Amino acid sequence: MADPARVKPVVGVSEAPAERPTQSEGSRDAPGSSGKVSEPAAVQSTTREQGKARSAEEAAAAGEEEDGSSSLHPPPAKKLKVEHDKKKEKRHKVDEDEIQKMQVLVSSFSEEQLNRYEMYRRAAFPKAAIKRLIQSITGSSVSQNVVIAMSGIAKVFAGEIVEEALDVCEKWGDTPPLQPKHMREAVRRLKSREQVPNTKHKKILFH
Amino acid sequence: MAEEEDDPGFDEDLDDGGNGVDSGQGKRKRLFSKELRCMMYGFGDDQNPYTESVDILEDLVIEFITEMTHRAMSIGRQGRVQVEDIVFLIRKDPRKFARVKDLLTMNEELKKARKAFDEANYGS
Repeated sequence: MADPARVKPVVGVSEAPAERPTQSEGSRDAPGSSGKVSEPAAVQSTTREQGKARSAEEAAAAGEEEDGSSSLHPPPAKKLKVEHDKKKEKRHKVDEDEIQKMQVLVSSFSEEQLNRYEMYRRAAFPKAAIKRLIQSITGSSVSQNVVIAMSGIAKVFAGEIVEEALDVCEKWGDTPPLQPKHMREAVRRLKSREQVPNTKHKKILFH
Repeated sequence: MAEEEDDPGFDEDLDDGGNGVDSGQGKRKRLFSKELRCMMYGFGDDQNPYTESVDILEDLVIEFITEMTHRAMSIGRQGRVQVEDIVFLIRKDPRKFARVKDLLTMNEELKKARKAFDEANYGS
């Protein structure tokens, strides 16, 4: 029953069950593909096939379990594994539903919305510049995965600031384009929520 | 009052491009101007965002990366930045955590796919 294609998702999924629902829609942008659109689509189709293969295997496994249970109780370890596989299968179905919903949504976009969505997916920080920046701080070389992770997080961070600034802009009755005062107020709000990291201020506990 | 918490480089960086006129973050050449403009449009801003706003955002992003790098250097294996450290630092923020997990998983899948493709080519 040890399917090598199944082993990795178990490790990733069991560690972060709470984060799955907050997975942002359609954010399956491949890391190095700032110019290619075909690769993410190819990967998506392979993951879908893998998902189908896995669910077929799990159905077969469930069938075998039923045959065995008539004669003796399946051992508790096997029971846990079957439950976990069923949960994973449900999660795969949820992913596929989400993919379908995204496709329906994107197909109904206007021209301007399509442009904006394309920019949203494609815009990324240049890996070379990020690598140079990190290496200038550490003084030693960093692996490629670090650069990928850091660029991804930086983009999410930029997105949080822009979204907060747009909220501020709307609240103050202004229109986009965003002005520096909106950005500053957004940073101030995020700082109070501790979403902007800052270790410059030394907190003295007992003054 | 909000200005006290701000980096003084924000207000002093009056020039477009910000080369060598003032101190603070303005001295460095703009690294991400083009990409940040596209990103701001993608996130909901106007198609032509103000240059000052782009500058502010670039300073914030660079400060964020610097901060993360320093923190990552101080935990785990000292003096080095590793992926596990970044993932540990980001664990409380659900959005960023999910995004990093997605990116790394996707990268592994792409590497596997490329390897399988190359082996298929090599065989034939």
